[in-house]
Amino acid sequence: MLDLQALTQAVGDLDEPTVLELVKNFMATHPGGEEAQQVVTACQKGMGIVGNLFEKNEYFVGDLIFAGEILTQTIDLLRPALAGAASQKVGTIIIGTVQGDLHDIGKNIFAGMAEAASFEVVDLGIDVKPEAFVEKIKEVKPQIVGLSGVLTLSLDSMRNIVNELTNAGLRERVKVIIGGNPVSEAACQQIGADAFTTNAAEGVKICQRWVK
Amino acid sequence: MADVKALQAERTQIFHDVHDNKIPKRVPVNLSLPLEPLAGYGGIDLVEAQWDVSKCEPALDKLCRNFYSDICPGGTSLRYPGYYTPLESQSFVMGSNGTFQHPEVVGMLPEEYDDLIENPYNCLLEKVIPRQYKALKLDDPINMMLSFTKAVLGYNAHMAEQGVLVSKYTEKYGYYSTSRYGGGFTEAPFDFLADQLRSFKGISMDVRRMPEKVAEACEALYPITLKKGMPKVVSNYASVFIPLHMPTFMREKDFAKLWWPSFKRMVEEYASLGIHSRIFCEDNWDRYLDYLYELPTDTIMMFEYGTPKLIKEKLGKKHIITGLFPVTMLKTHSKQECVDYTKQLLDILAPGGKFIFSLDKNPISIGDVNMDTFNAVAETVRDYGVYGNAGETAGLQFNKEDYRPSPSRKLESKYYNTWEQYKESHPGVSDFGEAKLQGFEDSLFQFLMFLLL
Repeated sequence: MLDLQALTQAVGDLDEPTVLELVKNFMATHPGGEEAQQVVTACQKGMGIVGNLFEKNEYFVGDLIFAGEILTQTIDLLRPALAGAASQKVGTIIIGTVQGDLHDIGKNIFAGMAEAASFEVVDLGIDVKPEAFVEKIKEVKPQIVGLSGVLTLSLDSMRNIVNELTNAGLRERVKVIIGGNPVSEAACQQIGADAFTTNAAEGVKICQRWVK
Repeated sequence: MADVKALQAERTQIFHDVHDNKIPKRVPVNLSLPLEPLAGYGGIDLVEAQWDVSKCEPALDKLCRNFYSDICPGGTSLRYPGYYTPLESQSFVMGSNGTFQHPEVVGMLPEEYDDLIENPYNCLLEKVIPRQYKALKLDDPINMMLSFTKAVLGYNAHMAEQGVLVSKYTEKYGYYSTSRYGGGFTEAPFDFLADQLRSFKGISMDVRRMPEKVAEACEALYPITLKKGMPKVVSNYASVFIPLHMPTFMREKDFAKLWWPSFKRMVEEYASLGIHSRIFCEDNWDRYLDYLYELPTDTIMMFEYGTPKLIKEKLGKKHIITGLFPVTMLKTHSKQECVDYTKQLLDILAPGGKFIFSLDKNPISIGDVNMDTFNAVAETVRDYGVYGNAGETAGLQFNKEDYRPSPSRKLESKYYNTWEQYKESHPGVSDFGEAKLQGFEDSLFQFLMFLLL
């Protein structure tokens, strides 16, 4: 078994060569699903370190993107061993960039970090209409809905979506978090969301509190 | 009519005073609605307005009568369908509501760094532009020629229509003409590399994986981005607009090593020619204010977020500050709250001059703003932002002799000729042709690089 603490630290340090080497060596031992799951958990802890350093302004968005890339590569390497192992999900989040907006960098960072925190993430993509959110919520019954946008006009779309959720009788069944450049306390209230954030790491923490 | 001319003279004077390091009579009001919200204001279909900006004329006239600004308060855009459509752009596309947007796109692969570093302009034309503009198919040259020519014609047509509209209303209502002195538009070399070549995600990987290639690429792109921004005419009232994208997403040590050096050199080279840069510090630059201080005197700095007091204290005597009023407040706060905040902001930023009032960014849809509130903010600046010491010296004085350009690579490519190079290969050409032919050469350079901005 590889040194899980060293792996966690290497992920936290964004030390890509060390992470990949540790995981490749581990996979060369033909590990079982349970062991591989422990490696995933160690990586997730490393992502927790990354999130904390981001909140302390030691890492920035570029570093979060890089961390997400390291994690994606790691999971890809582990996938053969993970097949068949039951992974435990803490909850489901439906996420999308709202209608009228095509920007997805922030959404993708949040989605990557939420997955790293063991959420099942259903990503509806960009320029997503309210109906598409409603349909998908009915289908997968998430605990949380994440609405993302960069343009100020996305605030209108967010409000439309929340209204549609209310009309469809779904609003009480989900928590709604809005994220992106234009969101604020005031916008959050006007939209009728439960929380807002301009910080992906903080957003994931809010979601974790909701599913506890 | 005399009133309009007198008003125009006053408006011109207050802007010029700010640029001439003098305390103006009052704080200039630099507020406008770009094309998209202007169309919304007039109830005009956005897509129709984008194809024919003259449809917005009644809306602009109404806006001029009902909204205070010292510049023509609307009708401009950088993004029109007449050129992005024939080129089949993937960098600039319309969202479902008709707003032009710039999605995350990759125009250069990581393994192509060496090519970019070796022959930067060739690489941009041969690889990056055809990837971002699907109609420019290298294996279908005749159709490619037609599509490209259509786009150039489209660009010229759109810019002429916009120019006619804005000049007409600038004169009709006596605004300060922001276009009279020309100007330029470019990006910092690192941002140019990030924006449409490597993408936000790609550059974030490269900074970690191959920082030395990133640094070399910035050097290679330097002469191109410098030339792209160069105004045709040098004036104390013209500027090169440079929106700054990536720094706040980077660690300071990466910023200091990879982002800052080529940018600072560019702004200093402009300054050595007497050209001012107008930078848009996107996001929150509080942690980089000491760097900004180092830029040439009278760099115009527009801020999005950040701490107004800190910005004024650190930069206010040397640089011209603008921005910082949150556009989102125009929707989320009451008229009174917005007026109060305007006064607060003026109390912090106006003293000592070197300040122009603007929002932290333009509204992009009429739904973003309560127009009654917006106008109240504008009138508050006009009436409250009055100086008692007009005409006094504001702060540090800009002297172009204080700046020396550092040596850098030159633009060398088989796709760009100086007049001397052209004459060498076309010995029969008359020197009378220089103004036209070299003008076209430079216009095409400008248009091609604009496609990557």
